[in-house]
Amino acid sequence: MISVRPLTTLPFFPLLLGGCAFRGAPSFPVVGAYFPAWMVCGLTGVAVSLGLRVVFVLTGVDAILSFRLFTYVALGVLAALAVWLVAFGPG
Amino acid sequence: MMQRVRISGRKPLGMAIAAGCIGTAVVLSLYVAHRGNAYPGSDSASIDAELVHIASTVGGRLTDLPVQVNQHVHKGDVLYRLDPEPYMLGVQQAQANLDLASAEVENQKRLVGVKTATAAAARDQVTRAQTNRDLAARTTGRLQPLAGKSYIPWQEYDQARVALRDAEVSLAQARQQSAAADMAVGDLKSAQAAQAASQAMLDHARYELRQTVVTAPADGYVTSLGVKPGEVLAPSQVLFTLIVDEAWYVTATIREIDLAPVHPGDCVTVYSMIDRHTPLRGHVESIGWGVMSADTTGLARTLPLVPRQMDWVHVAQRFPVRIRLDDIRPALLRMGATATVEIRYGAACH
Repeated sequence: MISVRPLTTLPFFPLLLGGCAFRGAPSFPVVGAYFPAWMVCGLTGVAVSLGLRVVFVLTGVDAILSFRLFTYVALGVLAALAVWLVAFGPG
Repeated sequence: MMQRVRISGRKPLGMAIAAGCIGTAVVLSLYVAHRGNAYPGSDSASIDAELVHIASTVGGRLTDLPVQVNQHVHKGDVLYRLDPEPYMLGVQQAQANLDLASAEVENQKRLVGVKTATAAAARDQVTRAQTNRDLAARTTGRLQPLAGKSYIPWQEYDQARVALRDAEVSLAQARQQSAAADMAVGDLKSAQAAQAASQAMLDHARYELRQTVVTAPADGYVTSLGVKPGEVLAPSQVLFTLIVDEAWYVTATIREIDLAPVHPGDCVTVYSMIDRHTPLRGHVESIGWGVMSADTTGLARTLPLVPRQMDWVHVAQRFPVRIRLDDIRPALLRMGATATVEIRYGAACH
């Protein structure tokens, strides 16, 4: 039953982020240029979907999924939107 | 034979998970889009302040410059002085002109006095001529019956009549002279007007002398100052620019589709990128009423210039939203600095 754990933690992901609620301008300086917050969210979404893919393959959850591409994209989108809502969006 | 590849669509649990994830993602996307429209923001705003281009209305050589570039000055501080000598000389000249005009008024007063006396004398002459004429008339009246009865020589009566004519001519002349003398008296109006004009010239010269000392019209920072004393300035030539730091603003360009929820007075969280961790509180003061559109150029007194084009995608126009900062932290505020604004939300609006 260890394979179910990542799925059960997913709904609490925004809450976990809420603990370290972001403070500061939603604009990030990288070598002299400002990058918008939504770009950070998008990168987070990509990273989360890649990470979940690795975790699901290792734990065997991946085997029970169908339409894997859409599922992982949707999970990434959810993660990105969650980060936006918790860290940057209108509170 | 072609091997039939089984797509992973036969597993009910997997399909349910996929449907759930996609559905949730779609719903959450719509929700975030809705929230984003209701709470607009911009990460390309800039810190703004009001400027005064410091210049004097008079020209001359810069003799004293007690301020330095980037220095903070207070309202009323002396910013620079121009050589006052030409303007002192101007004041002296105007003073002399005023003295001349005042003397002319006195002179004119005496002249009026003299002419008034002359007019009075002319009136007395009229009285005298009138008396003489009356006497001659009475003499002629008395002699006429005597001459008619030849009691006196006709010659004597003729002489009396000539004397009467003479007295009448003298009376008419005296009356004309009296009228002319009355008219010639005049008044002080022209002299007093010249005096008033000279007084105004003197006041103007004093005003120009005062303008050689330029003081700060408001608290602020001296910028764009790159000259030393000795520079010659034309009237109204700008020497430097003063950034007024009594009020600071942020100008955020917001797309027209996001303008509907923005109202004057709305709370705004502003981050100056000089320190992107400190939220500053501000409020919307106003929204710009017009920007120049590049699609059509209305030239004065001719037809509008409309380029031929067929664009299918139109980029949204943006309007400047003027935000006034409520808490002013000088360390974070430099005019033109990049700022991020969050209208109606953010750390400063809770």
